[in-house]
Amino acid sequence: MNFLLSDEQTQIVDSLASFLNDRAPVSRFRPPAPQIGNADRELWPQVGELGFLGIALPESQGGIGFGAAEEMLAYREFGRHLLSPSILGLTLTARLAAKTDSPLLEAALTGHLRVGLANARGSVRLGGECSGDFHLFDAKDAPWVLVCGEAGAALLRRSDFSEVAAVLGTDHVIGLERGRLAAASPEIWVDAATEPVQARAQLLLAAYAVGIAEATRDMAVEYAKNRQQFGKPIGSFQAVKHLCADMAIRTEAALCQVIFAGLIQAEEHAGVDFHTVAAKLVAVDAALKNAASNIQVHGAIGFTAETDAHSYLKRAHLIEQLWGDSRQQRQRMLAAAFPD
Amino acid sequence: MAFPGVVSMDLKFSRADRSFRDEARAWLNANLPRERRPHSGDAMRQFDLAWQRRQFEGGWAGVSWPEEYGGRGLSLTRQLIWHEEYARADAPDNHLCFVALNHAGPTLIARGTEAQKRDHLSKILRGEVIWCQGFSEPNSGSDLASLRTQARIEGDHLIVNGSKIWTSHGHLSDWQELLVRTDAEAPKHKGISWLICDMKSPGITLRPIEIMTSPNQVHFVQCFYDDVRIPLGNVVGEINDGWNVAMSTLGFERGTAQVRDQIRYAYLVEKMICEAQRRLGSDSPLSNDEIGARLAQLRADMAAARAMTYMVTSRADAGLQDSRSSLMRAMVGDTQQRARRLALDILGPDALENREDDDWVYYYLRSFSITIAAGTSQIQRNIIGERVLGLPR
Repeated sequence: MNFLLSDEQTQIVDSLASFLNDRAPVSRFRPPAPQIGNADRELWPQVGELGFLGIALPESQGGIGFGAAEEMLAYREFGRHLLSPSILGLTLTARLAAKTDSPLLEAALTGHLRVGLANARGSVRLGGECSGDFHLFDAKDAPWVLVCGEAGAALLRRSDFSEVAAVLGTDHVIGLERGRLAAASPEIWVDAATEPVQARAQLLLAAYAVGIAEATRDMAVEYAKNRQQFGKPIGSFQAVKHLCADMAIRTEAALCQVIFAGLIQAEEHAGVDFHTVAAKLVAVDAALKNAASNIQVHGAIGFTAETDAHSYLKRAHLIEQLWGDSRQQRQRMLAAAFPD
Repeated sequence: MAFPGVVSMDLKFSRADRSFRDEARAWLNANLPRERRPHSGDAMRQFDLAWQRRQFEGGWAGVSWPEEYGGRGLSLTRQLIWHEEYARADAPDNHLCFVALNHAGPTLIARGTEAQKRDHLSKILRGEVIWCQGFSEPNSGSDLASLRTQARIEGDHLIVNGSKIWTSHGHLSDWQELLVRTDAEAPKHKGISWLICDMKSPGITLRPIEIMTSPNQVHFVQCFYDDVRIPLGNVVGEINDGWNVAMSTLGFERGTAQVRDQIRYAYLVEKMICEAQRRLGSDSPLSNDEIGARLAQLRADMAAARAMTYMVTSRADAGLQDSRSSLMRAMVGDTQQRARRLALDILGPDALENREDDDWVYYYLRSFSITIAAGTSQIQRNIIGERVLGLPR
């Protein structure tokens, strides 16, 4: 039993982190950058070239041959850098395509496929026929849209959606639209019983949320060390210090549970549902609370668009909603079998 | 961050670890005490010592202690496996042995002389002695280093005067790990010594202290020392280096033994789910209830608390033990306290009955100590802020 990264895993994480520090600093969203939509899709071919779009697929299917643990570590870095969550569209499309021998596999792995995400607004039907009302994320110029639910995962065409209308997103650097499906047949449908795509998606969302929790903790701590009031760094005051300590506690809890869930998936132990849902709940809680505390530690400047604090908060809310919000996750948590 | 020597992240236990687990499980099944653990007094002392002795005779005492002092000399992972199986078997915790096994013993292993190790370690593992802690004082709680119980050297003895408080089970103990001031002029952390104190020494008197759980529950004592003579050979580490001696092992109170509690609490949450559904009745699903939502979040947080213990164990096994274990301890304390509070809400009006045959109310009241004992959760947060995050003092 070991929760520490191997040298190889550390190298993987370091190489990804240095690529993202260079090409996707969170400051890329600050004004005067365009405030609606993002250009992250331009990075996908390079992320693909680095191998991260198929990191957990076998080499025989064009992947790198690592597992859930390494994929989870990559998504933690994506979260730290607030990479557009539509990258999940590629990771999961590659997984679906590999499962169904779809010709879309290569384009997904190389990052040349454009896939937006869809998330249910209220009750929807997913399966060989999909219908209901959805939000679409970063799907404006994407021919494909991926959606996940407890029943399974579907790759749909954007043209399957009717009544598509753009809306200003709470997280406005992510393009947001409303759309409706009426008895659409997906290009690919994989049932949850065949392949637990939903469990993998939740794990990666949880890892992304850990990245947000870590980045906001670090940002708040850095500020608390440097910002002076009453002649001292504000981090020397217990009121602020304890806010930061709570951020660290939540982050460690979330990281450890996400590692736990990742290893349970990677090694196919019992309790995938239990530990994965727990991971999403704990990690989203950490991301949301840390993002809020980060704003509080920053004071008035945290309330402006001149720091990145608000970007983490808004993204945390988006991640919470994706493919089952915390209310739904709590219901699943209660229903999951307890692994002894 | 690179962790040299680590092969790979995994949840796998080696074949040897698995067979160790099987042996532990089989032994526990065959050897669990059948009688109920008494709640107080000498009967409780006899029970705890007998159960400790049986574990020793079975080869399960001191799994990670060095072999030359009666331990098994195995890894912390094995120690963790033992604790997991112990909790799964619902074995009774011999709380009276806790200080000796998890604090005094490890301190002697780290800093004791050969004679001190020989005199005490195997007696601890064999279940011959109970140890208690003499750290806090009436005016030195969170600010432990301000302690004023004084010891002056006279010949080959120390003469101790003063008072200690919040000494759990002091009235049932044989030995005490005692922190005293041996240099009143030195800066406060540098004039303290760590002593082995015989609780039967002339000049020690005890005042029992009832706790808030229920009437007549004596858990603590206050100790008064009136010219108590302690041989110089009972100083652990150097004179005036007691603070470092104490700090060298405080982490043990926060280490792998935690996993026992965590597994017990995970089972408690499962019981709470059953009880909550039973009380709601079949017409009203728990998933639509406010209590259900809190139980779900608690189930998730309990899982995370256990995952944190795995992280702490992994780091310790790789020689990386550090203040990050305080993150685990803070999370565990808050989560356990929340569980006890929620259990009360499940009971509803019955929470007003502190019944002997149902311990949820008793342990709710008891849970207030979780965020106070061994450093309050506020002190924990200072430690996290300063030593983990590097914030200024």
